[in-house]
Amino acid sequence: MSLRVLNPNAEVLNKSAALHMNINAAKGLQDVLKTNLGPKGTIKMLVGGAGDIKLTKDGNTLLKEMQIQNPTAIMIARTAVAQDDTSGDGTTSTVLFIGELMKQSERYIDEGMHPRVIVDGFEIAKRATLQFLEKFKIPVVMGEEPDKEILKMVARTTLRTKLYEAMADQLTDIVANAVLCIRKPEEPIDLFMVEIMHMRHKFDVDTRLVEGLVLDHGSRHPDMKRRAENCYILTCNVSLEYEKSEINAGFFYTNAEQREAMIAAERRSVDERVQKIIDLKNKVCTGNDNSFVVINQKGIDPPSLDFLAREGIIALRRAKRRNMERLVLACGGEAVNSVDDLNPDCLGWAGLVYEHVLGEEKYTFVENVKNPHSCTILIKGPNDHTIAQIKDAVRDGLRAVKNTIEDEAVVLGAGAFEVAARQYLVNDVKKTVQGRAQLGVEAFADALLVVPKTLAENSGLDTQDVIIALTGEHDKGNVVGLSQHTGEPIDPQMEGIFDNYSVKRQIINSGPVIASQLLLVDEVIRAGRNMRKPN
Amino acid sequence: MKEIVTVQVGSYANFIGSHFWNFQDELLGLADNPGSDEIFKNHNLDMNVLYRSGETHQGIPTYTPRLVSVDFKGSLGSVNSRGTLYNEAPAPPGHVLTWNGGVATSASEPLKKNLFLESLYLEDEDVGNTGFNSGKNDSRSEIQDKDIVECLETGVQYWTDFSKVHYHPQSLYELSGLWMNIEGFDNYGVGRDAFSGGLRGEEINERLRFFIEECDHIQGIQFVVDDAGGFSGVAGEFLENIADEYTNIPVLLYSVHSPDTSMDPKSRKRTISCNLHDVVSFSRLLAFCKLFIPVGLPSLGKSRTSSFLSLKDEKPYHTSAVYASAIHSISLPFRIEQLGPSSQSSYTCGAMAVNDLVQMLAGQARQNMVSILDVSMPAPSFTGHPVQQYLLENLQPLTPEIVENVEDYQAVESMTVHGVYGAGCQRASISEVKDAVQAAYENAVTRPKFSHLSVARCPLPIPLPFPSIFGNLVGQHGELLDTPISDSASRGSLEVHSIPMAARLRSSNAVLPFLENRLGNLRKFGIARGAPGTELLRNWGFGKEDLEDIDETLSKMVMTLNPYSQESSDSD
Repeated sequence: MSLRVLNPNAEVLNKSAALHMNINAAKGLQDVLKTNLGPKGTIKMLVGGAGDIKLTKDGNTLLKEMQIQNPTAIMIARTAVAQDDTSGDGTTSTVLFIGELMKQSERYIDEGMHPRVIVDGFEIAKRATLQFLEKFKIPVVMGEEPDKEILKMVARTTLRTKLYEAMADQLTDIVANAVLCIRKPEEPIDLFMVEIMHMRHKFDVDTRLVEGLVLDHGSRHPDMKRRAENCYILTCNVSLEYEKSEINAGFFYTNAEQREAMIAAERRSVDERVQKIIDLKNKVCTGNDNSFVVINQKGIDPPSLDFLAREGIIALRRAKRRNMERLVLACGGEAVNSVDDLNPDCLGWAGLVYEHVLGEEKYTFVENVKNPHSCTILIKGPNDHTIAQIKDAVRDGLRAVKNTIEDEAVVLGAGAFEVAARQYLVNDVKKTVQGRAQLGVEAFADALLVVPKTLAENSGLDTQDVIIALTGEHDKGNVVGLSQHTGEPIDPQMEGIFDNYSVKRQIINSGPVIASQLLLVDEVIRAGRNMRKPN
Repeated sequence: MKEIVTVQVGSYANFIGSHFWNFQDELLGLADNPGSDEIFKNHNLDMNVLYRSGETHQGIPTYTPRLVSVDFKGSLGSVNSRGTLYNEAPAPPGHVLTWNGGVATSASEPLKKNLFLESLYLEDEDVGNTGFNSGKNDSRSEIQDKDIVECLETGVQYWTDFSKVHYHPQSLYELSGLWMNIEGFDNYGVGRDAFSGGLRGEEINERLRFFIEECDHIQGIQFVVDDAGGFSGVAGEFLENIADEYTNIPVLLYSVHSPDTSMDPKSRKRTISCNLHDVVSFSRLLAFCKLFIPVGLPSLGKSRTSSFLSLKDEKPYHTSAVYASAIHSISLPFRIEQLGPSSQSSYTCGAMAVNDLVQMLAGQARQNMVSILDVSMPAPSFTGHPVQQYLLENLQPLTPEIVENVEDYQAVESMTVHGVYGAGCQRASISEVKDAVQAAYENAVTRPKFSHLSVARCPLPIPLPFPSIFGNLVGQHGELLDTPISDSASRGSLEVHSIPMAARLRSSNAVLPFLENRLGNLRKFGIARGAPGTELLRNWGFGKEDLEDIDETLSKMVMTLNPYSQESSDSD
């Protein structure tokens, strides 16, 4: 071994050992995530060394929480995490699919086949499957008014794999409405315009959609109203606190009065800004009993708060930067950066603004807004890990709805696509392929079945029975999926089980790429990071 | 009252922070304790500057540091990141509300609490929430203090191991997915990606906003960053956000570096990477703060700073205690209560806000934002010594790569002296200290152009979990003895209860080598034709133009400090 000559400490794994190391790592990772898949999977509760609890049914979260050491596993995990970054779901499926591709290839390689041939077959099968997916997907027309039912079905399919059924169904409405709320024609959907706020309070079923905004802070003045109706909302980014000037001017004074005068002058400019806001308030609120709320991104110091409170204005300081944008979308008006050109057009409107106090935490609800383009999902739960898990699920649900709107298509779920694609590969594609690459196509086709197989396994069903029943129906021309309850074939369309097109596409795209790379590794060298001598 | 929010980023920064908050906790405890010295009861420091009052859902009042700490996942050891104050009712184990199907629990072995944390826990159980900060005078029947000190000496692994402070649930942030001892988290680029990855950046900003929102008149942010690894990248991005969002809040930045203990010579590639990291992290961090204080000698144990200490460089638990003490002293002027323009307190003098300090040191003609931190620990007493010079001589730098005994007529200094002894083994009064320092400066060979003095009578209290790092010349109240106490080589919190301290920040051209080294490395490894590090820097996200900008900034800084510098900026 030439490497040994260069570095006697180098460890080298030869061809078959290297390959088996990769295959085993892929299978190992598959085993860890396998039980996660589908609405009958098990949820994982991770308890850390300090007693902190993390609940997850999400492959992505689980991969992040595991301290993966094996280099092969790290590569697979990265692909899966990238899958989540681009499409928001399908992490578990990616890992399962890669693992299964490796497992299927192992059979042929053990019989003496060269990995290159299998990889060629993968490539052919991948292209064919992607083409098949284009035919198989169900187009959804979005237009002005998207079909809410289909969005809800996609959201429900995702959410039911993360939360118990009643909770999932409750959230289904919430996430579908939330995305429709922020959607603007001809513009990409920015999910950040849905604020996700949580309160450790009461029960998970109290989770709800607030059309409007919930801010995680309140006014800092005892005399300000805790509840106001018919409010004008001023969204601004103006400093209302007295600061020493940036430039090192310093006060030069010779007696106490001069000093007082200087300070008063400095203070005056802040007061003038406050006064301008008060003037605007008087302009719009005289003669009616409307209220006025100032939400500022910068600080407001106690004297300014005092002024505002005396005029009956509710003021919040240090709002999140993103809330500036959200507020304008929810309430209307515009965010102002200076008080010089304030006019009533800058103001937004909310029917109700009120404060909710939990211990030291304060929440301000801005509700009953007209025509909102931003909203808040308020998650409640009795403890932090429950809240965190619902939060993760909500994020996935939102992504699923967004994907559907952007894809303008969905794919039948419950394993229907995988079985259909497999039958297509075996019955049609394989015959067109010359030579041994056929076996690669076959391995790919069988690997696709990992999804329905695992679904069956997690539901406690017999995998062989299920696969035979499903493929039988498909051969008869019925596109069916697997019922998790009975193990019988069902029509996913009837049951409303739909997956995201982009998620499936991404899985089919990235799985074989990484599997091929791993299969083609014929030597693993471990020789430390600095193989060259320090010069 | 003017609030300060503290931010600690990185492992070593948190080690320092842990000691720092232990001091504060000890001060709070001593002030409440009827048995403690009068000096601690009237320390005349406003603790609300660093602490916030709150209450739990159950309505129990809390008093916690106004702190955001960022560290690796798993760096908190056996302590829960949410603390114990705001504890929710524990969920029944194995019961999951959100899932009807199967539950697979994988629990890692609970980390064993060490003796110290165990004793804190027992104490909490005993006295409820009232006595948690009353320090070492509490009865602790089961666990002996001696054993605790010994246990900490031998086995500190996490910074939480020796922390006796209750933190707010928003304070401790672990970077999700970045585990402790992760490989390759050692340069600016990695850290920057870590900050922007996922929701981390946003979550950290939210934590900070939580503390800033409730401040009425925030005076500044005290920022401690471990600049040795990827954490300076995290901090750089974080600071950029802070500068953006809170433009007028001054940031006082301590860039800390743990002593370099790796004995093996680094490979050339590694050296280049390290050097470039130092340049880049320095220039990025400098750009978003108001005052930059480099802290961390290559070998603290062997330096003259620790002539009265005996500490081991390889123990972060030891070395961080020294740095924390210095930072504590520097922070005193920000918290001294001002009674009014005319009335003089007999316990403190020389209050100033963060902004005043920044203006004083960095706002002068040279606009030098890099300050040197000097400390004298423990500070000598003012007795007997004919030449008051002793105090100034004892102030030794904690900032690396600086020149000693430099002549700089434009130097500006801010000194804090607290708890020192005057004649007759009494704590020196404020005016005695003032006079002594005045005299010291008058006798000095080189004098700064301007200096500010803050004095407090309250010494640095030594809490129980403080490491045993005092030499055998240090007495029970930190007085320097003429004859060594023979019984042991090092003395800890059981033998020494408080020490007088002096610390100083100075803006001086002594810092030139620090700047020149960085500038030199940048040119040699990054900018020169065919430089070995250009590719590396590009990977970290620094293109040619960025490097030239850094070069220009650094050259300008060097030029202002040393107008006669031979090295001109266009000597290509």
